[in-house]
Amino acid sequence: MKIILVLFAVVGMPRLLVGQRWERQVEERVQRTIAAVGSSRGLPVVRRSGMLNTDEAASFQTTLEERTSYAIVAVCDDDCSRLQLTLLSPSGSDIAKERNSESLPTLRFTAATSAVYGIRVVMEGCRWNPCWYAVAVIPLGKGAPSR
Amino acid sequence: MASLKGWVVAGLLGCLALALAYLPPRGATSSGSPFFVGQSPSGTPARQRAQALAEEWRNADAAVRLLEDRPRVKGDSLRASPAIVFRGATLSSNSVRDVETVMDSVWRALGLGETKVRVTLAIELQRPYTSVDAPTPLQDRVAYLAPDSTHRTDCIAYLPAGPYWTSFILGKRDAMQDGLGRFAQWLQAGLGPCAFYAAYGNPGRPVQSWLAARNWDLGLYLGSHGIAGERFSSLTILGDPRFPWFWDGVYSFPPATVACLAGRPSGCRAAVLAGAAEERMIPIPNVVLAERRWWRAQHLLPGERYLGDIARTVGRDRFLAFWTSGEPVDTALAAALKRPVGEWTADWERGFVQPIRLGPAAPLEGVVMALTIAVFAIVLVAGTASRRQIR
Repeated sequence: MKIILVLFAVVGMPRLLVGQRWERQVEERVQRTIAAVGSSRGLPVVRRSGMLNTDEAASFQTTLEERTSYAIVAVCDDDCSRLQLTLLSPSGSDIAKERNSESLPTLRFTAATSAVYGIRVVMEGCRWNPCWYAVAVIPLGKGAPSR
Repeated sequence: MASLKGWVVAGLLGCLALALAYLPPRGATSSGSPFFVGQSPSGTPARQRAQALAEEWRNADAAVRLLEDRPRVKGDSLRASPAIVFRGATLSSNSVRDVETVMDSVWRALGLGETKVRVTLAIELQRPYTSVDAPTPLQDRVAYLAPDSTHRTDCIAYLPAGPYWTSFILGKRDAMQDGLGRFAQWLQAGLGPCAFYAAYGNPGRPVQSWLAARNWDLGLYLGSHGIAGERFSSLTILGDPRFPWFWDGVYSFPPATVACLAGRPSGCRAAVLAGAAEERMIPIPNVVLAERRWWRAQHLLPGERYLGDIARTVGRDRFLAFWTSGEPVDTALAAALKRPVGEWTADWERGFVQPIRLGPAAPLEGVVMALTIAVFAIVLVAGTASRRQIR
């Protein structure tokens, strides 16, 4: 009986145990997006997440394989109103920028050569700072090189 | 005779001009020994230097303690209300639970639940300090480690308990009448800027720079009552003309603060926006040390509750729009208030204090003395002039 009570107590405990509400929100959102886009088998999905205040930016690098199409998707929490996503070439110049999709910017890109590309996220609008975000680089499969 | 009248009129006008220029503001009386001038005669230069060094050491020590506490509180995410860390003594689990229960009720009273910025209260219990190699640690000031770009979701308040609250927390002192209520007020006041971070998240750069420039004097208290009780505020200490130190206090404030006390919107605007024009870099770590006598360093009375009152008046959405805005502070604040900042603040100030009357005014005894001297001089001059007339 005691064990059952303890289990009930643990189940009823605030969900704070598994992380903050906004972190979970973004985590669930990015998982749903990956499932909706559908990734290619055999190639890993690269994911990054974090938090930013309004007008702050974060960057990371990832290797994109040649002649592979990718969907690069960023999501953010409910307090975020605008997120900017930029794909950068190995030399650091902008390849593509998405800032019109508010809180779900998406880029599609097929790498001509295998190289380390940069991805930059800018939190353009956050009602309650900081806002959590997550970026997923989803491989869609081999395809013709195009941008 | 006509020329004599001209001289008399010119003399009186001269007196009036001198009175306007030199007489103190209306009602100003000296309390004898000024309350706001230093507490004790200044020491020797060597002693002053030693005190300044000790002060620097205390500030650095407080900053180090806050930085030490940051990793310790990372793991405690079970409670929505602030995690509490005790320093200086080991408490029984019952004592810890009692303090946490009071903190939980304080948190709920502030309307806070799960927040984006996690607050930790580091309570420094007083202990005998015997080291002769270093000054006594900071014991009479509250310090805060505000979120920065490396730790965006942590705010730590360092709260020295002093002898009274130390023995209260340790259970050595029974709760006197309303002791628990006062303890809750003490905890609530101790949250300081961290309460704003918890309620509204990290401010935008203009607001952050503005508050840093004025050491958060407008955001020291989120609660709706006075900082140390139902009505007690900095205004209670300084704003009541019945207290003998009232005019000493008025003279110690910047001109804009006094103008705001007089109900002038332009003065209120200047008092609120002091520091808003500065482009201040936010340091890492972002340590905010409350002034030792914070009510003396205010630009507005009672400034400690100004932002809290705005938040309650305009509502969460409009306050958040101001708080996170990238616009200059005066623009963002006026947009949130939907009124010019000076006008709103002057009305707010009138809710606490009857506007003081500014301008020169002479005390009665001074007027009688001056008139007596003037009449005597006129009679003397008139008598002398009449003797010199050629008939």
